[in-house]
Amino acid sequence: MVMTNIPKEKRSWTTRLEAKKERLESVKGLVDGVIIPTNRIVDALELLIRPGDRVVLEGNNQKQASFLSQSLVQVDPRKVHDLHMIMSSISRPEHLDIFEEGIARKIDFSYAGPQSLRIAQMIEDGKIELGDLHTYIELYGRLFIDLIPSVALVAADKADRHGNLYTGPNTEETPTLVEAAAFRDGIVIAQVNEIVDELPRVDIPSSWVDFIVVADKPYELEPLFTRDPRHITDIQILQAMMVIRGIYEKHGVKSLNHGIGFNTAAIELLLPTYAASLGLKGKICTNWVLNPHPTLIPAIESGWVESVHCFGGELGMEKYVEARRDIFFTGKDGSLRSNRTLAQLAGQYAVDLFIGSTLQMDGLGNSSTVTKGRVAGYGGAPNMGHDPGGRRHSTEAWYNMMTSDDPLARGKKLVVQVAETFQEANKPVFVESLDAISVKDQAKLAVAPVMIYGEDVTHVVTEEGIAYLYKSDSISERREMIASVAGVTPIGMESNPKTVERLRQQGLIAMPEDLGIRRSDAKRSLLAAKNIDELVQWSGGLYTPPAKFRSW
Amino acid sequence: MKSAFLFPGQGSQYVGMLNDLPHDPVVKQILEESSDLLHLPIESLHNDKALSTTKAVQQCLLIASVSTYKVFEKNGLTPSFVAGHSVGAFGAAVASGVLTFEEALKLVSLRGELMERTCDKGFGMAVVLGLDEDRLLEIVTQLFNVDEPVYVSNRNSPTQITLSGSLKGLERVLEYVKKHGAISAHLLNVSTPSHCPLFKNVSEELLVELNKLDLKRPKIPISSNVNSRLLRQADAVKEDLAKSICYPVRWHDAVNLLYETGTRLFIEMPPGDVLSKLANQAFSDVRTMAITKNDIEDCFYVMSN
Repeated sequence: MVMTNIPKEKRSWTTRLEAKKERLESVKGLVDGVIIPTNRIVDALELLIRPGDRVVLEGNNQKQASFLSQSLVQVDPRKVHDLHMIMSSISRPEHLDIFEEGIARKIDFSYAGPQSLRIAQMIEDGKIELGDLHTYIELYGRLFIDLIPSVALVAADKADRHGNLYTGPNTEETPTLVEAAAFRDGIVIAQVNEIVDELPRVDIPSSWVDFIVVADKPYELEPLFTRDPRHITDIQILQAMMVIRGIYEKHGVKSLNHGIGFNTAAIELLLPTYAASLGLKGKICTNWVLNPHPTLIPAIESGWVESVHCFGGELGMEKYVEARRDIFFTGKDGSLRSNRTLAQLAGQYAVDLFIGSTLQMDGLGNSSTVTKGRVAGYGGAPNMGHDPGGRRHSTEAWYNMMTSDDPLARGKKLVVQVAETFQEANKPVFVESLDAISVKDQAKLAVAPVMIYGEDVTHVVTEEGIAYLYKSDSISERREMIASVAGVTPIGMESNPKTVERLRQQGLIAMPEDLGIRRSDAKRSLLAAKNIDELVQWSGGLYTPPAKFRSW
Repeated sequence: MKSAFLFPGQGSQYVGMLNDLPHDPVVKQILEESSDLLHLPIESLHNDKALSTTKAVQQCLLIASVSTYKVFEKNGLTPSFVAGHSVGAFGAAVASGVLTFEEALKLVSLRGELMERTCDKGFGMAVVLGLDEDRLLEIVTQLFNVDEPVYVSNRNSPTQITLSGSLKGLERVLEYVKKHGAISAHLLNVSTPSHCPLFKNVSEELLVELNKLDLKRPKIPISSNVNSRLLRQADAVKEDLAKSICYPVRWHDAVNLLYETGTRLFIEMPPGDVLSKLANQAFSDVRTMAITKNDIEDCFYVMSN
């Protein structure tokens, strides 16, 4: 065969690199090596970012590149406009101000809880073009496929003069964001709290980083995973007892993730007391993918926990984590190494169980945390709250979900939804139709923002009892099971005592009594720590809670 | 820290309220100006008898809030945002420079007169606690009767919502909600069914008057009543001021928007502290102050730090 179509002009295969070099050249006069002077950051951004660029701005539910976001909003929209922003979390006012100022036009994101009204309004008013809503892993994945960033704006704790970065306990997703830009001739700018001669350890090497800038103040960090045990209710304790007996013990759940709710904080605080009295130590809850929850301290101190891998850090837990090196992932310097991408992957594929709370659930077990008129996105729950079809390894709990003797049958990830049958204001949690459907129409989304799909849910836990959904493939039977633990909500009213009795006999649902739990035993006195001060005591003074959680 | 000034609406008035304003020459000046414009001694505006009329109540609310705002302005302290509940929106518009005080006083006087004229006896408002907007809408729709109409009106908080309409209709709804989940439900001491379609003509007549004015662009963004957006254009403010009386006030969303935009300090102009209490209930990490309860000097101190 003869090649006939040989192009006459030689194509350049390094256009991206050349474009990058040109941009780097444009700031030569205002940078000092890799360092952008703090007071020249806006000028530098105006030169380094071009109209229409895809820009990753680091902001997740914990660490925020707040100096860079506050600087980006100050650029001249005549110079920098039509940006396509990619953000795992829209959490700060300026994240949306850049759209109002005409600097950015399009957004792809995961979570927008703290700005959920404003973004809903801006979508409705056509002031922001919505790419899509994602789970964390999806968004990170797309950074390497069809949302490859031209620029990454990230935050680190410290840098050295060469641009090596120390991200420490709050490494979170910084390495992922940087990797997507750095290895595709994008530009990486990191804000740092300080420049030091020697870093405690290198989390991101300087060859991945183009510029560093010392922020005017340390990056914003939210203590999102601190739950004061003072607010845990007796009902949450009852539910925690049911989960421990009716799910963790029953299926032998050893590896797991917990959400940030008070429900799961209650479970953590019952391990050294109630669960210990059942002789479960070492048999359940040994390996975790979890942020350093202060409420896990008593379980760690009592020897329940073998390992914890973290998405991010938690304010005040730094010294405690360093002093419990056997449990947490730590660097040579001793401090925590978190990694949201890897922790999400671990939570998706490697743990037996995900458990989370929901605000609304329909009769088929589809659940959502959206409120009408708000667009909050997903975060990471759907990554962990589903049964990953690509899983091939077996554990006791996973195998335990197998309900058929088909030779090709396989196990299942345990996906547990906990809810009280009514929210505040007499609002039923179990409803005929999810508010997510009206949010879909209002925000013109392609699909309704369902957090966890009913088909993935294996267990539903309410104050009434547990529905073992995994035991049935029949839609009508699953609906009956949900109805029988749904109290006096519209869905619950479909149930009757006869059905409930039958489902109990078949073991498809269980009431507290069936699990050997007396409702009157569910008391706060069972909690290993009843307030933040007691958590500090458990930690031997190593946990130093942020001021707003201190009562003394 | 971003701040917002909140301007209260009807319900916050009390007898003698104009005597409790900050002692400042600017306040005195506004009181004298009001007296001249209305051809009335100030005392006759805020006595028991006067405050039984919608018109005097609205005038007093405007005078109290704007005169106090002027004291802040004189001291070089202006907020990042303003918002006013119902008639309070006129005070917010003055603070933002959209309307002059004189224009606003004429408009609220007209608004009060029109409201009094439009509905005879037999109409009013009620407040329901403990049910959310959806549930209440469902109930009101289900019990709706053309001869005794009732509408869901102001969303003050997710579970503090008012109803407006015929007294008979309101009583029927109140009786129902008390048996179906409301924590509390009762009639308000208001003789007008504000913020519902019954006041469409008031809205239209207000718009005619507003159209005669040369409204200025807001110097301070205003969080609006009808659609809870931040208004930065004069026309948008005009529309909100005119429409508000026949649409629900989406107060919770208006304040939530300010919160999301970074506001952590809310200062309520006099009279009363209804709006600062609502802000406090809705957001645990905000600081709220009300001139009626806090010394104005303290507010100066907090604002300048």
